[in-house]
Amino acid sequence: MTAATPELVTPLPAIARDPFRPLATLAHRRFQLSARTPRELVVPLLTPILFALVIAPALKQALHTSTAYEAFVATGTIGLLIPLNTMFAGISVLVDRESGAQRELLAAPIPRALLVLANLIVAFAVTALQIAVLLAVARARGIHFDVTTTGLVWFIVAGSMFTVGMYGAAETLAARVPRTEEYIGRVPAIAIVPWFLAGSLFPINALPGFLTWVARLLPLTHTLALVRYGLLNDPSSLDNIWGMHNTTTMAALSLIVVAAFAVLLTTAGIRVFSRTAVR
Amino acid sequence: MELAIEVNELAKTYPGDVQAVKEISFGVEAGEVFGLLGPNGAGKSTTVGMLTTTILPSSGSAQLVGYDVVRQARETRSVSSVVFQEPVVDRSLSGRRNLDVHARLWRVEPAEAKARIDELANTLGLTALLDRPLSTYSGGQQRRLEIARALVSRPRVLFLDEPTVGLDPRIRAELLDVIAGLRDRTSTTILLTTHYLDEAERLCDRLAIIHEGTIVALDSPAALRAELGEKIVELRVCDNAQRTLELLRERGLAGEDAFAVGATITLPLHERGAPETIAAIEGAGVRTTAIATREPTLDDVYLRLTGGQLSAAA
Repeated sequence: MTAATPELVTPLPAIARDPFRPLATLAHRRFQLSARTPRELVVPLLTPILFALVIAPALKQALHTSTAYEAFVATGTIGLLIPLNTMFAGISVLVDRESGAQRELLAAPIPRALLVLANLIVAFAVTALQIAVLLAVARARGIHFDVTTTGLVWFIVAGSMFTVGMYGAAETLAARVPRTEEYIGRVPAIAIVPWFLAGSLFPINALPGFLTWVARLLPLTHTLALVRYGLLNDPSSLDNIWGMHNTTTMAALSLIVVAAFAVLLTTAGIRVFSRTAVR
Repeated sequence: MELAIEVNELAKTYPGDVQAVKEISFGVEAGEVFGLLGPNGAGKSTTVGMLTTTILPSSGSAQLVGYDVVRQARETRSVSSVVFQEPVVDRSLSGRRNLDVHARLWRVEPAEAKARIDELANTLGLTALLDRPLSTYSGGQQRRLEIARALVSRPRVLFLDEPTVGLDPRIRAELLDVIAGLRDRTSTTILLTTHYLDEAERLCDRLAIIHEGTIVALDSPAALRAELGEKIVELRVCDNAQRTLELLRERGLAGEDAFAVGATITLPLHERGAPETIAAIEGAGVRTTAIATREPTLDDVYLRLTGGQLSAAA
């Protein structure tokens, strides 16, 4: 510590405008932090797997429903996995702010939106992995999926957009609440309550009339309808929402709803983060 | 001389009409170590926040190396680094990874970054620790790593925001050596905020005393002390100190720069001799519990300007 400090001042290059290198750096950093916190990866997976593998078969047995019901619930649990995982990912934003390196990152010569996008990339990747695990486990448990190439595309696009939108919600909430405790207190209302209304365990037309209309307004309802259309080749959930004859039209309309949700919430997440980052 | 930091009537008012910084102006020359000295709540960190673009000024302007902190925020950030008051690190990552992330975000070329990290680790005594997670570092090691991190990108301007707060005396002394090393061996402009007088006196070429959002004095530590002359008399009085001070002024024993805090009166002597002054005080019937002469300190300067005890306030 007593050696000569190296000369510090050299001409700096002009500020670079390429956002991909810093985005990759930030995403890599976030991934490393998440990988060192295995609970971030495992905890959100537990409840959906419990639903898919234990509760759905139990319901099937108790209610004497068909095998298809297991598939219905298995796909429905995707609607729990995505919100839970993205909301848990949002906790890392609070940890970063309270005891991590967020202030250092805010002092970096990069657009601050990159911090949100880097977190989103990792939350998206982890969620995708968890959905893959969930589906693989469900398949191993004997649940049958009826997947076509087109159906897979509907499923992937809808699931991706919903994940992006939910992460936007997580960033928005994380930027607005002062403490982790308050954030966690609000997670059930955002991640779990809509799941019960969105046709996860039963079709939405089984709900009381006004709740059916509420369900039709939820992006999750549209996502699950598209997931079931994609993975089970079952358009009935879309039909319960739109009541049209043309399935592709109904799927496209639902996709527009989910896409709008993704764009709105991501924009909100970036704006709220950027505004709260600068006092 | 080129100004690395130029601040013009910079002000910040928080919601609720809280005026944290009130139209302050100062310039810091390239290569200078400049101190912002003041107690907590004086406006030091808000000023640093505005200069590092994490706090938006309410009015006024500031430039870093010619870049406007509001209109050219990213450019401003590209030429500066910050060591924050409290640890701001990824504790589960290694020291090397923390430095590497900084290097990449500040766009230091990978080969140069690697050499630079090794060089700084060697300089700051971190080589053996560099591949360990930061959670295993002591407080002083963590602080040294944060300083190394700030230097990886070769900043034109380095902000040290109360870097020794909360450290034990041994680590604090160690860190002051590190910062003094930067001062002596580099030409980076350093803006240091502190409420420790010894830090300011040891490290700063010039310093601004900031009080309730306003700069109340700005000069070199020696020049600020010189305003009080070479010697002062300090007396603890039995009666009301303020009334006693007025009495001493009436008798011509105290000038306008004398001040009272609590039961203590401080009299800069200037041209007056100490023995005669003490004799005159005793002759004036002032009842004292202690009386002594000493050289003025920055604390005296601060007391005179603000009427508050710097260390106690901090």
